[in-house]
Amino acid sequence: MSASTTSSAASLSPGSLDAGLAAIFRPTSIAVLGVTNTPGTVPHDIFVNLLDSRFNGAVYPVAPRKKHIAGVRAYNYVVDIPDDVDLAVLVFPGAVCEMALKQCVEKGVKAAIIISAGFREVGEAGLAREHRIKAIAAESGMRLIGPNCLGVINTESDVRLNASFARAMPATGKIAFLSQSGALCTAVLDYAAGKNIGFSKFVSLGNKADVDEIDLLRFLAADPETAVILMYLEEITRGRELMKAARDIAGDMSAPKPILAIKGGRTAAGAAAALSHTGALAASAEVCDGVFEQSGIVRCASIEEMFNTAQLLAYQPLARGHRIAIVTNAGGPGVMATDAAVNQGLQLARFSTETVAALKKALPAAANTKNPIDVIGDAREDRYAAALEAVFADDDVDQVLVILTPQSMTNINAIARAICELRERFASTRKPLVCSFMGSRDVAPGIEILQEHMIPHYLLPEWAADAMWNAVWYGRWLTRERTEVETYAVDREKAASVIDAVPDGYLIEPQALDVLDAYGFPVVDYEIATSSDEAVAAAERFGYPVVLRVVSPKIVHKFEMKGVVLNLGSADEVRAAYDAMRANLLVHVRSEDITGIMVRRMIPAGKEVILGVNRDPVFGHMLMLGLGGIYVEAFKDVTFRIVPIRRSAAGKMVRELRTVSVLEGLRGEEPSDIPGIEEALKRLSQLADDFPRIAELDINPLIVHPRGEGCHVADVRIRLEAMGPRSR
Amino acid sequence: MADKQILERVIKVVANVLGLDPEEIEPQANFVFDLGAESSQSVELVMAFEAEFDVDMDQEQALAVQTVEGAADFIATQLNS
Repeated sequence: MSASTTSSAASLSPGSLDAGLAAIFRPTSIAVLGVTNTPGTVPHDIFVNLLDSRFNGAVYPVAPRKKHIAGVRAYNYVVDIPDDVDLAVLVFPGAVCEMALKQCVEKGVKAAIIISAGFREVGEAGLAREHRIKAIAAESGMRLIGPNCLGVINTESDVRLNASFARAMPATGKIAFLSQSGALCTAVLDYAAGKNIGFSKFVSLGNKADVDEIDLLRFLAADPETAVILMYLEEITRGRELMKAARDIAGDMSAPKPILAIKGGRTAAGAAAALSHTGALAASAEVCDGVFEQSGIVRCASIEEMFNTAQLLAYQPLARGHRIAIVTNAGGPGVMATDAAVNQGLQLARFSTETVAALKKALPAAANTKNPIDVIGDAREDRYAAALEAVFADDDVDQVLVILTPQSMTNINAIARAICELRERFASTRKPLVCSFMGSRDVAPGIEILQEHMIPHYLLPEWAADAMWNAVWYGRWLTRERTEVETYAVDREKAASVIDAVPDGYLIEPQALDVLDAYGFPVVDYEIATSSDEAVAAAERFGYPVVLRVVSPKIVHKFEMKGVVLNLGSADEVRAAYDAMRANLLVHVRSEDITGIMVRRMIPAGKEVILGVNRDPVFGHMLMLGLGGIYVEAFKDVTFRIVPIRRSAAGKMVRELRTVSVLEGLRGEEPSDIPGIEEALKRLSQLADDFPRIAELDINPLIVHPRGEGCHVADVRIRLEAMGPRSR
Repeated sequence: MADKQILERVIKVVANVLGLDPEEIEPQANFVFDLGAESSQSVELVMAFEAEFDVDMDQEQALAVQTVEGAADFIATQLNS
């Protein structure tokens, strides 16, 4: 092995690139601190990986009291190295990393990757150590990846950086991968190698003491070698910045770069502590769906789905629509593919008469010329080619799926080559093409041909359908109508006068209603009675039927405490209900804790929805809409968005409900006032945005009347809490 | 500061286990950062100290010691107790 080589690597890009991140991904010289001579250990293998990847720059092992490592001259300390060092890779034990990093600062190192463990993941002492190394680096402007990470890989041919202890350098490709789990990284690398999937950049984030996924997203957005960005995330701390970065990058119409993510774990909404329905529901996976939906991040349920989709987005044109053509040599798989596609939301394209005529001419009489096209089991490459020519030329086809099963006469490789040739010939149609050669052993060479030509391949047609649908979802998000945040003329001062006068905790119902009233919500007039006579008088003024509701700062769950009586139709009923309610409540609370009994007109029956707001420490206020009533937590038919929502989001939230058909009118029922729900959502978004102190808010139910007749707030709870340092 | 004799004996053990010249070993030297001790050698050092000084040491506490003089202090404490 030769001595350290002099640099011919790409120089640091000037201008917009952050110098520290550039030093991480495109260093011209690297020092590895803590290298040992013991093969099979991280400190040894990581250095050998750098050499084996043929890194296009100088490498210096820092190995105290060693003369050389793997044939390369070693140094006792990084400050002994005579040349400049761009990047340091620390593999010393955690306890000595501070000393090592201080010397890196002295040396003028621009960035460091700290592989070592022994930081926040081991407890308080480790967390303190991590804060210290972060401070050491920050003082000099050094950027850090890690600690406690697998490392960083850059496959660009003029860099060839494998600063990791992964088993091997991956192939070059257009996909970048960021992961918070180091263990997952090695599994993903091996998985991708098995599928001939290459990477542009590969980063194990570790503890994210400094550089996090947002910094890397911004860097990768400007990286011409990266077409798609994949992320595995567990903890998200800068929620809003993540959303903004994702929207900017995935939504850049001039150069869109899709982002796909797997989110492990749940948000930090503290479901266990939340008393409100919204809070209890907000810790579910639906929250992340809402966040990713708004940000244009394609949420994947598995590594398989992520890479299946990534291949399609990275190497095929973005589909213009959801109409697919299926070409198959086997009926059964064609049916499976159809079912899977339609279940996902894709549509079988309806061929033009010209296409059908062309297929009839080229294919045997027994072939099916409708969609899915069945070229029959004895098909060879000529029939596949004819079918593909026809569908590529059809304007009503947006995407193409080719299925092959290996019969004895199926010339798999020739068919694969024909597919590749046609893909090339029809590139200008910008229709994505994917394949599913079903099998394993006999189809393997054919699959390799497809992969060499960057045609995505899937073992099962269902996986192809998943990927194609994800691509359609992304394309629709990218080309969505971009609306603004819609606000209403409201009485902000009136709402503030209520909210500012109340300490942290629940507002009593009249206060909560006053806040909603100030923001134009449809609330019903009320009066507070402190005697049965007052209650009857109020009922007479409003007109029957009426409702009685206890008003008490000590009673939050009124129904459970029998503090609500509905549908009282006469003075006698009101008087009796008032007396009974008071008597019952005084068993549980003191008389002085009952402010009064609210009297109001009974709201006519309608459909019930729940609207809510929950302040998440990571994402800020989340708005929720769901099918309401007391069973909301059982049905969990809910949808989330981060506040503030844009005009089009309100309608989307309604349409996302599984039970939206109930609102649209079932079995002859009149449709409900959906515009009223949308307006309520936008007003609630505005209210939450204006008052960060609102920690939880439930309107459950909002009673929705038939179209044109509006909605009414039947119950509301608002909890205030001052924001902590990490909120919003 | 530990007994000078203990320090000298510690230096001799360290030199022997790590294959270094005792003259090059400073009392303030960090076993890993300055003397290049690998993790297996750290365990070897603890065992060698135990043999040299005929003491039983708590391994976790012993491995937390970072420097040569720190080791001498630790051993002195073990001997006194």
